[in-house]
Amino acid sequence: MAESEEEVDVLVQRVVKDITNAFKRNPNIDEIGVIPCPEARYNRSPIVLVENKLGVESWCVKFLLPYVHNKLLLYRQRKHWLDREALVDITCTLLLLNPDFTTAWNVRKELLQCGVLNPEKDLYLGKLALTKFPKSPETWIHRRWVLQKILRQSSAAGCRKQQQQQQQDEAEQADVGRSQQLSDHLARTLHQEMRVCSDAAGRYPSNYNAWSHRIWVLQHMAMGNIKVFHDELSSMRLWVSMHVSDHSGFHYRQFLLKEVITELSHSSGNSGSPEHRSSTVLSSSPNHHSHSQANGELSGAEAADEVENQLGLSAVFQLFHQEMELCTDLIQSFPGHETLWSHRRHVFYLWHHWRRKHQHHHCNSTNGGSNSVHLNDSEPGLQKPAVQGSEDEEVVNRQRPAGEDMEVDRASLPDSRDSKRLKRGACPPTLPLEHSFVSRILDSCCNPEQRRFALAYRKWLDTVIGQQP
Amino acid sequence: MGTQVKDVIIKPDAPNSLLLDKHADYIAAYGSKKDDYEYTLSEYLRMSGIYWGLTVMDLMDQLPRMNRQEIIDFIKSCQHECGGISASIGHDPHLLYTLSAVQILSLYDDVDAIDVDKVVEYVKGLQQEDGSFAGDKWGEIDTRFSFCAVATLALLGKMDAINVDKAVEFVLSCMNFDGGFGCRPGSESHAGQIYCCTGFLSLTGQLHQVNADLLGWWLCERQLPSGGLNGRPEKLPDVCYSWWVLASLKIIGRIHWIDKAKLRLFILACQDEETGGFADRPGDMVDPFHTLFGIAGLSLLGDETIKGVNPVLCMPEDVLQRVSLQPELLS
Repeated sequence: MAESEEEVDVLVQRVVKDITNAFKRNPNIDEIGVIPCPEARYNRSPIVLVENKLGVESWCVKFLLPYVHNKLLLYRQRKHWLDREALVDITCTLLLLNPDFTTAWNVRKELLQCGVLNPEKDLYLGKLALTKFPKSPETWIHRRWVLQKILRQSSAAGCRKQQQQQQQDEAEQADVGRSQQLSDHLARTLHQEMRVCSDAAGRYPSNYNAWSHRIWVLQHMAMGNIKVFHDELSSMRLWVSMHVSDHSGFHYRQFLLKEVITELSHSSGNSGSPEHRSSTVLSSSPNHHSHSQANGELSGAEAADEVENQLGLSAVFQLFHQEMELCTDLIQSFPGHETLWSHRRHVFYLWHHWRRKHQHHHCNSTNGGSNSVHLNDSEPGLQKPAVQGSEDEEVVNRQRPAGEDMEVDRASLPDSRDSKRLKRGACPPTLPLEHSFVSRILDSCCNPEQRRFALAYRKWLDTVIGQQP
Repeated sequence: MGTQVKDVIIKPDAPNSLLLDKHADYIAAYGSKKDDYEYTLSEYLRMSGIYWGLTVMDLMDQLPRMNRQEIIDFIKSCQHECGGISASIGHDPHLLYTLSAVQILSLYDDVDAIDVDKVVEYVKGLQQEDGSFAGDKWGEIDTRFSFCAVATLALLGKMDAINVDKAVEFVLSCMNFDGGFGCRPGSESHAGQIYCCTGFLSLTGQLHQVNADLLGWWLCERQLPSGGLNGRPEKLPDVCYSWWVLASLKIIGRIHWIDKAKLRLFILACQDEETGGFADRPGDMVDPFHTLFGIAGLSLLGDETIKGVNPVLCMPEDVLQRVSLQPELLS
């Protein structure tokens, strides 16, 4: 290298300043990147700002990175002093070039703790790093830490508000306003987080870190907020249809389905005790139905519950039905995608478990009375509930217009031997239906991958599902 | 529209015999380029990098070529006041690098070079109320860290320092419908996480809690027509995932469910005949990480020119015999 140590020192300090100034000049920078440029040209800064894109010319990275890297490590070993402003600038440059440098994120955590940085600034830095390194595990880990800090701050503010409210009623109005601000802020943060995840998922297919972060965000910032889950499920429908190889995106959809189904099952059996809404695992959620109907007699309130119950169950049927139909459409339109077959397994498994869990309850609760819902898949033709609704309707059980037929009625069941009805009717999945789906694929498709996946699915139905009690 | 199977095609002239000497030269020379830009870029994981290099050298019976004293001194200077060990000097301590350091010292039969009691305290202090482990004091939770914690303690013979029942409970809460495991409850199954979780259950003697047939099925479905294994559906095959899947299959006693001969050819094709070392896929750049997992995979597949490797800890079996550690395997 021709450059002397001093020259490098001057150069790098200027570049770090240029980066800081670029952010000051344009607070809306939304993407970073390296501009291939093996040698320095002209006498100008290697930092290029075009519209909202920040680029660094590649020739300077090999000076820049080791320099800021070593500076920070010397500081960490207390061999070199850096003031707070310099720390902010150096960690920023360092993390945009090497976002998996854990210790640099930790330095920023300390700066956050003492109030030098604010959480929004760090979420923004992470967002930019993810535009160039969409998988970077340490960037996602730091985001979760920052989000938890925001959550803690707002719950502490919530507690203070409650205490104040008890003391002085006249302050109530102002407190309501503050509380509204707080929840608006959290809603905005949640929304922004979803956007960051979508962006990273678009930049790198089957991005495990982006999708598992998205699940974490819902688990920590949206549990019990069923509208968020419905909206996510709704918007994911188009996304998965356009990313039929993205197993992680489909897994996220499976997570949403499970949560929404758990919620629907709970709200149908137990209108509204909030602690029951936080269960994340369908199979481990407590049974919310058994307690009210032990004696088989229904009081007025219980009868009303029973109607609610039916609505919830119908909504669950509808959801499963629509999901299997989506799955069928995608498998037929895009043959040979393992992700789609894996999704089918998961959805069928969810259904199978839900059915086993609720079958028992339902026999007890209706006491053989109305007998309107059968959940037995051994006779597909006779016992399918027909829930009629718009086929494209994604979100169910949200303010359903009065009069829309949600009855689950044996008399209106479609004939099982009518294959069109089998395909189009709003029936939940059954083992025989799945077998005939596989046969149809095998009869009509000569794509070898598609056939391989169809055969594997059949084997899975026979061994994994078929051998369960 | 045809289907694009996500796989590689192995060229007829790809390497198909094991180039042990080349690999040993490649690893021995790797650490000498310390001013390299790449070396700076990867310093945040240096301790694991040393573990990868030393373990693969030991598996090839070439450990004496590495500078033992320099490495042990380096590890000592990476132990912090809290007992945890960092990736390199001046970096912050983390469970990931604490395990790597303990693995390296076990290879050298010199764990007492560091303050072992403090390491145990550090690991113990990271266990949470729900049984999970944080990776460091900042609190990130991941099943990988559960594995790091128990693997570190198992090598030190101090498993009783933590609440093992609670730790098991948390890992099991990350099990999915396909028999696999993810990083947290509700997360997607992933071959790397499955390796950590089956390894964890092996070290804690809880493998009976795994649905071995179901998980074995999912793991076998990772094998692609090229013979290589991927880590999740519709991902490309990769030497490191080949190790994680293969080791998991070995742990749950289902290694005979895949086509071993084809996998061997895939791994061999990932060698670089000129530079030595293994890449993730045929034709890509080699690195010490994939070199270890290539060699370790071939060892698990029964190559007798390499030392036997333990599937749970990815260390030579003779080292584990020396510390009397025999993790449970299903048959």
